Amino acid sequence: MAESGGVEKRGKPVLVMGGGIAGMTAAIESAEAGCDVVLVEKGPYLGGRVARMNQYFPKLCPPTCGLEINFQRLKKNPGIEVLTLAEVEKLSGSPGAYEATVKIAPRFVTDACTLCGACEQACPAERTNDFDYGLSKTKAIYLPFKMAYPAKYVIERTACPEGCKACQDACTYNAIELSEKARTITVEASAVVAATGWRPYDAAKIDNLGFGRCANVITNVMMERFAAPDGPTKGSIVRPSDSKAPASAAFVQCAGSRDENHLPYCSAVCCSASLKQATYLRAQYPEMPITIYYIDIRTPGRLEDFYQKVAEEQKIRLVKGKVAKVEEDAATKDLLVTFEDVLAGKKVAEKVGLLVLATGIVPNTEGLPEGFKKDDFGFLARKGAKGGFIAAGCVSRPEEVSATVQDGTGAALKALQSVVRSAHHG
Amino acid sequence: MAEAITVKPDTAFIRELQGCGGGDLKKCYQCATCSVVCNLSPDESPFPRKQMVLAQWGMKDQLLADPAIWLCHNCGDCSTMCPRGARPGDVFGALRKAAIERYSFPGFLAKVAGKPAGFLLLLLLPVLVFAAIVLFAPKGELTPDPEFANLFPQNILEPLFFAVSGLVLIAFAIGLARFIKALRKAGATGPIIPNLVPAAVEILAHSRFKKCGAERARYWGHMLTLWGFVGLAFMGTVVGIGTMIGVMHTPLDLMNPWKIFANVCAVVVFVGLVIILFDRLADPVKRAASTYFDWLFLLVLVGVVFTGILSEAMRLMGADPAMFYVYFVHLVLIMMLFLYAPYTKFAHIAYRTVAMAAAKS
Repeated sequence: MAESGGVEKRGKPVLVMGGGIAGMTAAIESAEAGCDVVLVEKGPYLGGRVARMNQYFPKLCPPTCGLEINFQRLKKNPGIEVLTLAEVEKLSGSPGAYEATVKIAPRFVTDACTLCGACEQACPAERTNDFDYGLSKTKAIYLPFKMAYPAKYVIERTACPEGCKACQDACTYNAIELSEKARTITVEASAVVAATGWRPYDAAKIDNLGFGRCANVITNVMMERFAAPDGPTKGSIVRPSDSKAPASAAFVQCAGSRDENHLPYCSAVCCSASLKQATYLRAQYPEMPITIYYIDIRTPGRLEDFYQKVAEEQKIRLVKGKVAKVEEDAATKDLLVTFEDVLAGKKVAEKVGLLVLATGIVPNTEGLPEGFKKDDFGFLARKGAKGGFIAAGCVSRPEEVSATVQDGTGAALKALQSVVRSAHHG
Repeated sequence: MAEAITVKPDTAFIRELQGCGGGDLKKCYQCATCSVVCNLSPDESPFPRKQMVLAQWGMKDQLLADPAIWLCHNCGDCSTMCPRGARPGDVFGALRKAAIERYSFPGFLAKVAGKPAGFLLLLLLPVLVFAAIVLFAPKGELTPDPEFANLFPQNILEPLFFAVSGLVLIAFAIGLARFIKALRKAGATGPIIPNLVPAAVEILAHSRFKKCGAERARYWGHMLTLWGFVGLAFMGTVVGIGTMIGVMHTPLDLMNPWKIFANVCAVVVFVGLVIILFDRLADPVKRAASTYFDWLFLLVLVGVVFTGILSEAMRLMGADPAMFYVYFVHLVLIMMLFLYAPYTKFAHIAYRTVAMAAAKS
């Protein structure tokens, strides 16, 4: 490993919970500064929500290169132990000397996997693909996504037919162990970083916006998958009802956010995300009418440029007024959206072919060990947590990817301080 | 460049609205969800989003001359769906109260009627009037069964109530004339007076009220109350004139068609009011949103109907002297209901009719 001189006497490792972009950054930065890290990820792959994006705003580049760099840094650093399909079950101890009980679910696929894909071909069963937000299916044995790290298949055993061994039989590398059991390990840690990320707000709870009731109402995270080259439609944005190009598309901002009946806070990224997604649509449909219905366009700092550029150059129509009623035409599956055009002072109902709900960010705080403090909105508070407990990324506030990365770096510095303290006093 | 518009916020007015039901009006961030979810809000001039920002700015003149505040039947859908808890429905209630205060004549009575502190004052006048009648009016002839006329002679009550009605009608006429003048100044150009009849028909039929949210119970409660009340008012006028010119003699026989009609109306109002009361009390949100202004009108009305039915029942049972106490309360409450009609929530019947007539053109 890199013999960096920052920490002369190595302290106990930093425990990072969450393998998304925040957790990966915190882990890599800490390790590159010279301390040991245990990175615990609940899912079968690293990269979290970022891996499911088509492009970042405002640069409109895919997340793959950033992920690739991070995976390389991770692989090259023996100081980081990555545990996927793993969750911290219990955490005890005091600052500088924590002990975590980590439960690791079986993957059923070993390091011998070469990603040849023979197992997948042989597998007779299917599962709903949560990576695509349920828009596609995979076999019961699957690779989470093309550049997944760890680069190994994984089996969703609950989807397997009873007694089926098709994958094991097909695997010529003996990489499949269907009898693998869950195991529990103990990890010592000087500091604990919670980077458990976020999930989109459940759009079905917003009754009046039609999600789940109208076929062509989708959410912004689903839009990312439609637009992504590795998505369910190989990147072409079509209507779920007929898999055809929509005649028009619109975005409903603040779908659940800034709403005390749902999420009382602003989710911070949805305005820029919708502008970005409007560019996806424009690239595929140069003449299509695209509308963004908003309360306020919130694109702070450098994102103001992005907003102005996209709105002008891409011919996006921006309407001040929140859509509060969505009805579906039973025959065409077109949507009738009703809003008050606030600047004109008129109530209007418009036909839309595809409606995207800009749903917000909900922090994943379930099951976190005691000692973290929550703020009024349910995010992890930046202050008041137990010593050596650090929150980073969207679990602590709604934020865009670049801010999340900075957050992860900041968390690494705070973790290092705990490590140094534990090295000197522990 | 267009001429700059100077907005002069009437901060006292903002505080006034905040103090009588519109406490959360500043929370509004103009998303316009309210205007969309409101079934009554017209496409060309939707409400209540626009009125919310005007209320935040304290644009009193503009708001109180806006018929829209009377086009709302307060189903509360806007408040339920409001993402900020700004409760536009309650703000509209506060605006209607402010409008009654602004236009009614004489205005100070609306000030007295609008505050809990004025309640005793409102009560005092009818109590004194009827106490004076009990103490000083020449008593009617004693009848075999006790009758209210023994203590409250009809030759005094009837002219008294006609005089009160006359005063109230004059007060309403002045108030509505001021309101119409304000509507005209604010740009209403179409006919208003000729539209009063279709507006009144619409109100009696409750066709707009029916579109108001999914609140069936409230619709029935309000409609029964209105119909029963109109029936009673009509019947009271007929009997009043009838006894004054000597063709009718109260108490009417229970089988008298007018009496049957009156009793049916009383039951209809009673049922309607029970529904309205239950609707307000059962839902904690509505209960919290109900103001003194709402309760004063509603409870006086409930009191009138309740003591009316009770006094009739007690009279039939010959419950002397308790029936006279109940009747005394009944008379006091009737006087309160009518005499203060132009200044309490009762006035909505008049202002709403005019506003709906103005909105028709």
